[in-house]
Amino acid sequence: MMPLAMAKTGDTVTIRKVTGKDEVRQHLAELGFVVDGTVTVVSEIAGNLILQVKDSRIALDKTMANRIMI
Amino acid sequence: MELKIALAGNPNCGKTTLFNDLTGSNQYVGNWPGVTVEKKEGKLKGHKDVIIQDLPGIYSLSPYTLEEVVARSYLVSEKPDAILNIIDGTNVERNLYLTTQLVELGLPVVMAVNMMDLVRKNGDKIDVAKLSAALGCEVVEISALKGEGGIAAAEKAMAAAQAKKAGELPHVFTGSVEHAIAHIEESISGKVPNNFLRWYAIKIFERDSKVMETLHLDAELKAHLEEHIADCEAELDDDAESIITNQRYAYINGVVDKAVKKKAAKHSLSTSDKIDRVVTNRVAALPIFAAVMFLVYYIAIGPLGTFLTDWTNDVLGTAWLVDIPRGWLEGVGCAGWLTGLICDGILAGVGAVLGFVPQMLVLFLMLSILEDVGYMARVAFIMDRIFRKFGLSGKSFIPMLISSGCGVPGVMASRTIENERDRRMTIMTTCFVPCGAKMPIIGLFAGALFGGSGLVAVSAYFIGVAAIILSGIILKKTKGFSGDPAPFVMELPQYHTPSAKNVFHATWERGWSFIKRAGTVIVASSMILWFLQGFGFTETGFGAVEDNNSSLLAAIGGAVCGIFAPLGFGNWQSTVATVTGLIAKENVVATFGVLFHIGDGVAEDDVALWGAIAQHYTMLSAYSFMVFNLLCAPCFAAMGAIKREMNSAKWTAAAIGYMCGLAYLVSLMIYQFGGLITGEVSFGLGTVAAVLVLAFFIYMLFRKNKYDDNRLTVSAVHAAKVVTR
Repeated sequence: MMPLAMAKTGDTVTIRKVTGKDEVRQHLAELGFVVDGTVTVVSEIAGNLILQVKDSRIALDKTMANRIMI
Repeated sequence: MELKIALAGNPNCGKTTLFNDLTGSNQYVGNWPGVTVEKKEGKLKGHKDVIIQDLPGIYSLSPYTLEEVVARSYLVSEKPDAILNIIDGTNVERNLYLTTQLVELGLPVVMAVNMMDLVRKNGDKIDVAKLSAALGCEVVEISALKGEGGIAAAEKAMAAAQAKKAGELPHVFTGSVEHAIAHIEESISGKVPNNFLRWYAIKIFERDSKVMETLHLDAELKAHLEEHIADCEAELDDDAESIITNQRYAYINGVVDKAVKKKAAKHSLSTSDKIDRVVTNRVAALPIFAAVMFLVYYIAIGPLGTFLTDWTNDVLGTAWLVDIPRGWLEGVGCAGWLTGLICDGILAGVGAVLGFVPQMLVLFLMLSILEDVGYMARVAFIMDRIFRKFGLSGKSFIPMLISSGCGVPGVMASRTIENERDRRMTIMTTCFVPCGAKMPIIGLFAGALFGGSGLVAVSAYFIGVAAIILSGIILKKTKGFSGDPAPFVMELPQYHTPSAKNVFHATWERGWSFIKRAGTVIVASSMILWFLQGFGFTETGFGAVEDNNSSLLAAIGGAVCGIFAPLGFGNWQSTVATVTGLIAKENVVATFGVLFHIGDGVAEDDVALWGAIAQHYTMLSAYSFMVFNLLCAPCFAAMGAIKREMNSAKWTAAAIGYMCGLAYLVSLMIYQFGGLITGEVSFGLGTVAAVLVLAFFIYMLFRKNKYDDNRLTVSAVHAAKVVTR
């Protein structure tokens, strides 16, 4: 497992685990970041990511991206 | 009987567009998540007794964000007669997550699959009958943007509301979870309304603190329920909240597999993604952004903007608005003082404000196009990593861009920042950006004392940006703003060609807040100012005065102007100009015109006024005065906006006090240190004060952040409590 922040642009990866406080995890889940779901990295600037998840694009900063393990 | 239908759905799914379509109202729609923060209601077109309620965009009914709390408490406590759930047809899976929760509320639900035009264009197919069966609600296809099917969907919702029948609940969860929920239902039966039973049971299973608070269950029952939850958690080896989330998605996954056929392969890149590849590219993002901004400001402030401003000032503002009425009034033999009041007081004041409108509208038009296309949301993403360094979030950037036109819509744009602390910090600092109305002040002094050097304007922007950055660093280390900025999470809308209706609407809405002042605050203040500077006590008693040095205004200004002496502008004219600047910043120029006997309605490039300014100011005191006026409290209209958005007298006072304090201290340093170098001031008390101020700033900037260790993230839940109090 590694943090999502380390994924490369263009990679499609499967989420293994989401860490962090309940409300952060819950909010990520609402946006579609759930275990076994897949995400594609559309773009990356200094660890901040634009991700394609469940047909929507979500921008996450590095601290949030590090909470999602792939 | 009156029916209430609530519109609910994810952010940016087209709720507000549908709301406008259904009610014929003109709510502003932004291609930017979080446009609806308050609830809005309107009557359904053609049905007087049907109220449509627009709710903020939400991802779920959990209590984690302000929007969710607002929407949820409305749905649970106000119990609308039906819910019209709008889902984005291009993103069914994520949108259904909310739907599964809405149907649990036990209210009649009709689902409207929006953006069908896009779905068809993409070659995708959605099986409405299967969706309907799987979720236990009626499903209709609509395209809010094209105006297709909206009314039909609302009529379906009306029928559902009249039938008062909620659909058959789908079995979303697996055996052991359903088992635990059934137990909870049994235990709380009779304590909650019957049709809300399942919703409350699931919330209790999730240990939702807000729901637990409202239910007042006794400790024994709580312990009993907790056992069931813990058993289930042990069995599934996960916490209750995650169990519910995961099973919802698992259920939705199954539904989507059956009901939605996509043409494009999963995770293939859409056009939007391909644009993002370029626009948010690590290397190209900032240059592209800089080029776009240059273009925007070049068009707004460059040749086109200047032409528009000159025309409005010279032709509309002076010739038509002031000179023609003056001709009429003199023609009909109107009393001289009344002509003066109307033309020099009211009309000239209004004309001065109107001068900025065209330039501002062009700027807002550009920014609205960028917003509607979807680029603004990307700007927030690109700027986030830079803004984070001084305690702000990328979302603070859009309010600041808008503030370069006018601070009022700028402050209002801070609404889209969910985190309360980030929002307050943005409101406090966004008015440091020189707005359109501050430009004449800069132009005046640049022309009068700096030979018209463009560097003065550049330095004004630089000072504005520096004030924001330094304030960010300083404020972040104080108790009220301690902690990291909220994590940046934002849904990016799809790029689309801008819709003329949306763009003009947004432009108008922002421009209007500026124009409105011309008719209200500024008319009143122009009259008061005209009176105060034209009348006063003389040897012959109270009456009109020839020399405004003996006017009431001079008396008032003279009484308080001493506090500005250390800043280099202790004359009463400066004080009065600063005060009229609070009414509207552009008033400063007109006020100097009046006070130095040049006449009202002067432009900032009036040579006679330049001469008068050059007599009264040195380069240094002029610069100090200019900086003070740029940074101190903004105009009344912007202060009003700050008060509305802060929603707290204490924070409003703190924001305005901070701006004035900072302006005073910065100007003090400029004048005292500059004066020592040029020999304009000699070493004295003022210098000592300036040194102390400098030391204080350096300390505030570089001291260790003592809140760094316990990085508390003020949660949205906490923010919601403060606001709803």
